[in-house]
Amino acid sequence: MSILKTAYEKDLYPEIADAGDSEFQRDCVEIAATKLARGEIDRRGFLGALTAIGALTVPGIGGTAKAAADELVIVNWGGPAVEAYQKAFGAPFTEASGIKVVVDGTGPLASKIRAMVESGAVTWDVCDTGAATTLVLQKADVIQPIDYSVVDKSKVVLDYAYEYGVANYLFSYILAYNKAKMDKVPTSWADFWDTASFPGMRTLRKQPNGMLEAAMFAAGKSADEIYPIDFDLVTEKFKEIRDDTIVWSSGSQSQELFRTGEVVMGNIWHTRANLLNQDMAGDVVWTWNEGIVTAGMWNVPKGNPAGTKAAMDFIASAQDPADQVKLFLIMGNGPANPAAAALVPEDRRFADPGQPDNWAKQIKQDARWYKASSGKGDLTNDAYARELYIDVMSG
Amino acid sequence: MTGALRLKYWLLIAPALAAMLVFYVFPLVQVLWLSVTEPYPGLQNYERLLERRALHRIWWTTLQICVMTTVITVALGYIVALAMTLVGEAQRTAMMFCVLLTLWLSVLVRAFAWMMLLRGEGVVNDGLITMGLIEEPLRLLYNRFAVIIGMVHFMLPLAVLPIYSNMTGIEGRLVSAARSLGASPWQSFRLVFLPLSKPGLIAASILVFVFSLGFFITPALLGGGKVVMISEYIRVSFEETLRWGEATMLSTVLLFSVLLSLGLVARVVDLRQVFGAR
Repeated sequence: MSILKTAYEKDLYPEIADAGDSEFQRDCVEIAATKLARGEIDRRGFLGALTAIGALTVPGIGGTAKAAADELVIVNWGGPAVEAYQKAFGAPFTEASGIKVVVDGTGPLASKIRAMVESGAVTWDVCDTGAATTLVLQKADVIQPIDYSVVDKSKVVLDYAYEYGVANYLFSYILAYNKAKMDKVPTSWADFWDTASFPGMRTLRKQPNGMLEAAMFAAGKSADEIYPIDFDLVTEKFKEIRDDTIVWSSGSQSQELFRTGEVVMGNIWHTRANLLNQDMAGDVVWTWNEGIVTAGMWNVPKGNPAGTKAAMDFIASAQDPADQVKLFLIMGNGPANPAAAALVPEDRRFADPGQPDNWAKQIKQDARWYKASSGKGDLTNDAYARELYIDVMSG
Repeated sequence: MTGALRLKYWLLIAPALAAMLVFYVFPLVQVLWLSVTEPYPGLQNYERLLERRALHRIWWTTLQICVMTTVITVALGYIVALAMTLVGEAQRTAMMFCVLLTLWLSVLVRAFAWMMLLRGEGVVNDGLITMGLIEEPLRLLYNRFAVIIGMVHFMLPLAVLPIYSNMTGIEGRLVSAARSLGASPWQSFRLVFLPLSKPGLIAASILVFVFSLGFFITPALLGGGKVVMISEYIRVSFEETLRWGEATMLSTVLLFSVLLSLGLVARVVDLRQVFGAR
């Protein structure tokens, strides 16, 4: 029991040495726990492995929940975000509630969350995922509904208050370009697709999310005609541009492609465009026009160790507009609380996707379309789009 | 061998065997099991293999890249191994060191090194532009060309070693005999040396092909998302779309393709001999 939890905790806080049994046994558990977390084995495989090495004799390992919620584990995507989340959300919550907040940067992959919940070895309380991931996890039945008697719906921009997830920040897919390397300024996705007037390599994301919408714009659709995505149409559009495209898989890679001069334009996250703008002395700029806004979301895994109440209290606490502006100033993530827009310092408003001026130029990504059935077998639009996109881009 | 002695030997390998069962065979069976039970029992995951065009293309890409990598690697490996048998002792040691050196370098480091060389403003393009050979940078990175270069580089030691070990066992006097009987250098190579080195060639081809099938990091980095091989797609199904049924189905098919290709080869050659087990 304690070994199981320790196996994960060793990952989370390597500085904590546990008073477990033999070194070798712990090591085996760690290997199995890693595999479980990666989804290489399932719960039964994991238990089988533990029983085999004598690490587990207690039946039923679902009871990892602690009686007292004295600590809350927030999981995000690491790097500078660990410190930023601690500053913006952790410290104020600890001050108000007395609950210690630990920010873990290992990255709340959907598969990890699912593996944790299904194995009953949940060590994360609040996960920083996205709108589409929320719907995937909801379908997999591994996260808890948001308690809107605690979390305030009116403190979330528009309708990014889902049943199983609530927006903690906004981010946009925007058209960024290196103006030092271009004669003309692109202002729309149609320009992005126009390789004759705007020569040079482009970059698109490795996942279709945020790219499909751009392709619809490029095909001449207006903002209210983007959904439902026309699969045949976007396939044609991606075929037109794939030879002039490199794909990015991580935010840092999208930045790298601009920095090394590999690309002159890209459909990238506004946070990365903003960093590029600072790094490259203003050479890289972006337009909010036809940007695609979406939300980062808080999810609470089923059976989270600190309990539902503490997790919901934290989410409610993180709705504070001033705290969200803090995160924006450190990381660039746009505040999700509409009340925060006015608190953003004027000289930073150009980089906030939620500012009324910027907002008006963009479309809101429809995560529900992604979740809907595609009519192709049992695939959702999201799953079908991913398959199609890989197929088209590698064709 | 007496029964008691045999039992002792079994006891000696028991820990290794148990570890294999628990950490390898058991999870593997789980994977096979998931492929017919996720999201519900049945063969629907395998049906997708026939139905989905995207999967056909990915398998086709994987196969093409693996075959090309194997052919190029084994051809280059053969030349290197042949040279190693012909040079002096000191040079042979130096060559062996260089071959092994690349084997010890991390696959990530090697992929990034190729990226530095091949990218638009990279060493190769800069060099060619400075020499005036080209005006616009060539697109060397983020395509099939780059993936194959990276894979061949990774696989080369795996080809050189079995071919070389086979060649050292070839009786050199047979070639001399052929020459003394009037064969030209080319004839003595083609009719005597090449057939004798066939086991090494086959072993190298199998090793390289099987390794290539599961290749992941190199195509992901050097292909720039435009060259998608099967292992990359398995990752997407596992991590992103959470369709574990499909991911395990593809893993199972990959596993059986390896076994099948080994089985086919085994009909032609004695695999135990090829890999030196007897």
